[in-house]
Amino acid sequence: MIEYDEYENKMILKLVYYGPALSGKTTNLLRLHDILDKEGRGDLAVLDTKDDRTIFFDLLPFFLIAPSGLKIKLKVFTVPGQVKHDATRKAVLQRADGVAFIADSRLSEETNNFESFKNLEDNLTVVGLDIERIPLVIQFNKRDLKNIITEADINRTWEQTGIPVLMSSALMGWGVVETFGKLVELSYDHIDTRYELKEKHGLDKETFVRKLIRVCV
Amino acid sequence: MEDDYIIGAEKSLREVFENIDLMPLIKSAVSAGASYVMVEDSEGEILYRHGGPVEEGVFTVKQPMYLEGEIAGHIVITGDYKNKGRIRAIGELIFNAVKIILNNSFKTMLAVETHTTVVNRSYEELLETNRKLMLSEGRYRDLANTLEKEVHERTEELKQAHAKLLHQEKIASIGQLAAGIAHEINNPIGFISSNINTLKQYVSKFRDMLFFYHSAFEKEGLSNEDREASKQKWKNLKLDFILPDVEDLVRESLEGAERVKKIVSDLKGFSHIDEADKAYIEINSEIDRTLNVLTHEIPEDAEIVRDYQDIPAFSGNPAHICQAFFNIILNAVQARKEGLKLVIAVRCLSNLIRIDFSDNGPGIPENIRKRIFDPFFTTKEVGTGTGMGLNVTYEIISSYGGTVEVESEAGKGTTFSILLPLPQKGDDAGVR
Repeated sequence: MIEYDEYENKMILKLVYYGPALSGKTTNLLRLHDILDKEGRGDLAVLDTKDDRTIFFDLLPFFLIAPSGLKIKLKVFTVPGQVKHDATRKAVLQRADGVAFIADSRLSEETNNFESFKNLEDNLTVVGLDIERIPLVIQFNKRDLKNIITEADINRTWEQTGIPVLMSSALMGWGVVETFGKLVELSYDHIDTRYELKEKHGLDKETFVRKLIRVCV
Repeated sequence: MEDDYIIGAEKSLREVFENIDLMPLIKSAVSAGASYVMVEDSEGEILYRHGGPVEEGVFTVKQPMYLEGEIAGHIVITGDYKNKGRIRAIGELIFNAVKIILNNSFKTMLAVETHTTVVNRSYEELLETNRKLMLSEGRYRDLANTLEKEVHERTEELKQAHAKLLHQEKIASIGQLAAGIAHEINNPIGFISSNINTLKQYVSKFRDMLFFYHSAFEKEGLSNEDREASKQKWKNLKLDFILPDVEDLVRESLEGAERVKKIVSDLKGFSHIDEADKAYIEINSEIDRTLNVLTHEIPEDAEIVRDYQDIPAFSGNPAHICQAFFNIILNAVQARKEGLKLVIAVRCLSNLIRIDFSDNGPGIPENIRKRIFDPFFTTKEVGTGTGMGLNVTYEIISSYGGTVEVESEAGKGTTFSILLPLPQKGDDAGVR
């Protein structure tokens, strides 16, 4: 959590899209920006670079107000996937409330996925977060491509971890909202246990998710 | 890390505009026809204002400014009602310009702050890494500086230890020798002193007889009685027996003394106490000398075959060479208590001297044959052998550029061969 100001009655949450280089983290945010209604969210701030690679991060802000009047702001970040930007990844990951790991489904990317996930585990430890407890979802992106790992193989690998795994094609626009929705749900549970969103602020999970995920008609 | 900048921390409009001067833009709006322009934040605090005063009934355009999707403040532009269209157009223009400035400034700010944070942390990490590297480099430098000195010191220590061991080994064998020599000397000395004791008694008898004759002759010559008494005395003193025995006693005593002399001379020869470090050595004589000092170690029934050939003199330290022979011969003569046969063959090959010591002992077991020249390796009981004998031999022969070889067959015997290179013509390579 970036900030919780009881006096101002304001809570600022951070969700992070992690994953190997070119797995589609920024594309996920671009699609969310396209698909979700303008109401309740801000514009996507892309700190673009010459060659279209993220070197800092992208930021998509959401906000809602709980029945109690608590203002909740949810900032969704991407990290730079390239190995050399590890210091930036650590900085972005700091105080995250939830992580979506965007894996590249192509068979050729298996090693990169593994190394990036290992890097996530290491960096969570570095910034003092517990991978066992932080809300975490995995998205296997680029399902529209050929030569990709099968869903059966993915499930075999990840089933026993209990981490939710979703399939997507950010480029085609499917699976993106579902991934975000799952992460938002898990994050609600995590925050609710500590800040009593329902008991104290009259904000239940369903309303939380509905207010954040308003698909354009 | 906790107190550092957190990516995602909220920014106020004032912070985002901190390094931006909107005044020229606002002034140009006023000069374009607006009477008053104001920028305020979400709390209503005025960041910029120009023109005025604001009168009642004027036309006002108020536009919100968004930061991360939330209203962060407003731009208010007022003007005359009659210029309504113009004011609206100016408002639109100013609003769009400020929106672009705001967005870009916000992004720049995020980038700068992230960059600064990352750079600062990386720098701190680098400093830490550098500090550790300096430490380890320092340690290595110290090590490198002292390494040569330490190697030199250790080598010197090893040299000294080795020299000491050689010396001790020599002392030990000389001690062994001394014990044997003492035993050897005892025998001749025993009968010499016994003979001399007997001789002493004899001599007193001679004296009696001589004094008797002396007094008899001093009176008045020999009477018949005297002659009788003289005969009787001769008989009583058993001079007939004693006189020839005296000769034997003296001869034997002289022989014994001769033997003692020879033993002592051999001992001196072996230890080469009086000689220089380098001399021309007759190998054959040195082997004999070594055998002589080992006499007490050689079983009585042993057969020593000296199969010598005439060989050129060898240039070296005679004490060392004797020591090398001594250790091999000692092992050989101790190999068997009864029926020992030791053949010592000396041959001169084209450019080297070969000395074979072949015994008919039990042989050296295959599994330890490789280790017999190792220092401190011994098959003798603890306290009996130093385990240095063959090692010393090996070291001595090596120092002359030679080698020691061993051939052994269980139950049949062992042959140690010493190969010493002969100096080539015009080459003084006998001693290293």
